[in-house]
Amino acid sequence: MTRRTRLFVAALGGTGLAVLLVAACFCLPRFGGAQHPYGDRVVRASLARHTANTIASVNFDQRAFDTLGEMSILFASVLGTVVLLRQTRDEHRAAPEPEQVAVPVRRFALLVLPVAVVTGLYVIAHGQLSPGGGFQGGVVLATALHLLYLGVDYRALERIRPVGFYEIADALAASAYLVLGLAGLVAGTAFLANFLPYGTFNTLSSGGTVPLLNAAIGMEVACAVVVLLARFLDQAVEIEKGGEK
Amino acid sequence: MNGWTVAATATLAAGVGAAAWGVATGPLRRRVVAQNLSTSLACPALLLLSEGYDRPSYVDLALLLALLGPVGTLVFARLLAEDLAADPPRAWGLTYAVAGFGGVVVIAVCVAAGPGRALVKLLVVGALLIGGNLTASRALSGGFAGSRRG
Amino acid sequence: MDDPLIVVALVLVAVSATAAVAVRDPARQALVLAVLGTVLAVLFTVLQAPDVALSQLAVGSALTPLLIMLSVRKVRRPQRKKEADR
Repeated sequence: MTRRTRLFVAALGGTGLAVLLVAACFCLPRFGGAQHPYGDRVVRASLARHTANTIASVNFDQRAFDTLGEMSILFASVLGTVVLLRQTRDEHRAAPEPEQVAVPVRRFALLVLPVAVVTGLYVIAHGQLSPGGGFQGGVVLATALHLLYLGVDYRALERIRPVGFYEIADALAASAYLVLGLAGLVAGTAFLANFLPYGTFNTLSSGGTVPLLNAAIGMEVACAVVVLLARFLDQAVEIEKGGEK
Repeated sequence: MNGWTVAATATLAAGVGAAAWGVATGPLRRRVVAQNLSTSLACPALLLLSEGYDRPSYVDLALLLALLGPVGTLVFARLLAEDLAADPPRAWGLTYAVAGFGGVVVIAVCVAAGPGRALVKLLVVGALLIGGNLTASRALSGGFAGSRRG
Repeated sequence: MDDPLIVVALVLVAVSATAAVAVRDPARQALVLAVLGTVLAVLFTVLQAPDVALSQLAVGSALTPLLIMLSVRKVRRPQRKKEADR
């Protein structure tokens, strides 16, 4: 195919897609209307299950199976990164050098680290009550650990981050989600059904299985991000081209 | 719209808009400062929005931004240390002005919230916001020695 | 309705997204991307989607810049070593 033909085909496809998208947009309900048929049903269902945060009820109760798929995507992509960014035969490891960090910056990092860990746990634990949940809190937890790399140096981070442990914890958390789903089958309902008592509305223990699934996702995401960043950090800091010295 | 959302709109249009322009153009030293100030301006805007919509749970957004925004700037300060050492950013006047603005917004929202647990959370957000903004600026202007492999 | 607020947030997203594409150097692109992440979070908040905004804040403010900047460092390093060898 010549360059001109290719451009013509691309332009044709692009125009067709644009026309279809614009036509579809005109058929959508008006922006910000008062009628929300799906929203009304979802809110009613989540209130019936004593879950204050409707989004959490959708993610971890009404559509918990979708979240299982999303979690598997993250798990598989981190697995792929681990395989791709491994140390190959023509590379060697060089010890990381210490970094000189200005005193106020180091103090700030060490002060904010525990605050960030508590915030991450808070976001996970309150997923069924207020905006937030396992994914958001897990990312905050993993970011908090890496304050050690930013504020001190890589050797300090490596001391509290045995990657093997986080890999096992990642797999355990992913299976915990599956086991919680299977527990629904054992309890005589369905896979990933909300089989626990719903609890008192707007308290930490409300929502049945929602807080438990949230905790599993939080642990999975935190460990997955730590493993992911560990591979990137290894490549950026330690692994160098050339054979064993 | 009420007074809070009007203030949030002004902060976003003038403050975050200027930061977005600053990060897209000019030398690297201006871009990193603009990136730092974009989070320090968006955080008060989120606080104002939470008050304007009368949704106390939206304060969590400001809490996360006050916590992670300076961490993001530390990433740039750390990994661009060599480039920044040659041409360090000097924008302390602007940084203090933005920190002062954040303080004013936090105090206003605190007064509106009244005493209680919400007030404690707002004060934590304020401390993280101002402390993080100033420390991130300090980190940008020579906070890291910039070792080649660290 | 808060129409002016939505318009301001949408314009900010459009401007910073265009800038993220137009800037060529990856390190500077990461800076624009960090601002884009913050602005997107504001847009989601304005559209009353705080859960999505929280996800965007968690990922976009520190994690994405760290991943990009580590990749930039890895790509740049062999060049620097060659320069030092010369």
